[in-house]
Amino acid sequence: MSRKPRTNSIFDIIGEHMGGFYAFTDKLMEAAFSEGPGWNRETYCLQALSSVFVTQKEVVVTADLPNIEPETVKVEVADKTVEIIAKMKKKVQFSDLGIYHREGEFYSLHCQDRVQVAIDAEKMKISFTGGVLEVRFPRKKS
Amino acid sequence: MIVGLPDVGLVGLIATSYLISELDLEEIAHMDSDLLPPVVVLHKGQPHAPLRFYGNQNLIAVISELAVPAPAIYTVMREIVDWGETKKIKRIVSMGGIPAENRQAIKEPKVFGAASNQELLDMLTKKGVKIMKEGYMVGPQALSMRYSVNKNIPAIAILAQSFYNYPDPQSAAIALKELSKISNIKVDVSKLLEKGEEIRLKARDIMKRTQEEMTRMKKSQEYDLPLYV
Repeated sequence: MSRKPRTNSIFDIIGEHMGGFYAFTDKLMEAAFSEGPGWNRETYCLQALSSVFVTQKEVVVTADLPNIEPETVKVEVADKTVEIIAKMKKKVQFSDLGIYHREGEFYSLHCQDRVQVAIDAEKMKISFTGGVLEVRFPRKKS
Repeated sequence: MIVGLPDVGLVGLIATSYLISELDLEEIAHMDSDLLPPVVVLHKGQPHAPLRFYGNQNLIAVISELAVPAPAIYTVMREIVDWGETKKIKRIVSMGGIPAENRQAIKEPKVFGAASNQELLDMLTKKGVKIMKEGYMVGPQALSMRYSVNKNIPAIAILAQSFYNYPDPQSAAIALKELSKISNIKVDVSKLLEKGEEIRLKARDIMKRTQEEMTRMKKSQEYDLPLYV
């Protein structure tokens, strides 16, 4: 006796597609939040937390920069990438952060963010309040 | 019971950890679940579960040194409330942050309270706590409130304006000051403020992972306007 192959229910079909969707969103999340250490021993930098906000008229990049000398902040823009680096008031070793099984010392905080729209880097405005750097760029009409 | 899980600005976690340290509370329990990542935290060479309960005769404090995965948050919060019920807790206070998009410009963050019933709201008002009258709560505080109501356990949320994705020890200190208004938990927050920069450096990694989970649980909905006509 031949058996008719069982037809997938609508729920099975949706489930299959949702499985693919979740895998896709997981990939997106991985791309957005790359894995890896929050430091670079070769450049003596700790990775700073940063964010990019795009509004109708401007792009605002902020970075959390605790323990830095404000006058050492450098903001560089190249090819839609905003790079921020600042020297810390005093070097930080892993042992200062309670970690004794790693070696290394760090002198700067650093972050790099990709901006998805055209910006006018020459008109950037920088402010530093309460340990948070804010850089405002007018958007360029493309 | 005070709950301070990683969330906006890590306000709840920083505040509750500081409270545990200042009150010298002992570790009394931990949560073990297959829903949590396979992680132990080493302190003084000893392994600890990341999600732990501290306490004494009068107080239980819950923290997690791990960003709780968004899909696990329901079970985790339900278990915390259920466990609290077995310990006959009188009240749950959830500490956290409210994302303020202009946080840099705010010198003294405001603190808002939410509560599970009118009696508690009246108490908060009487003690000078501003009430969050309308708005969305998303994540640990939301579920703490929801499950506490189901269990008939009085619940309060203390929420300080804070950075969304930068650790905010100043907001944590202000939240603790507000907590002291509504309870007999008094701690001097000066050390917390002094250690602010060090905390911000140390908390970068957990903040980054917490941000991933906040994105998954659509935390940005806290910026939305609710509609109830």
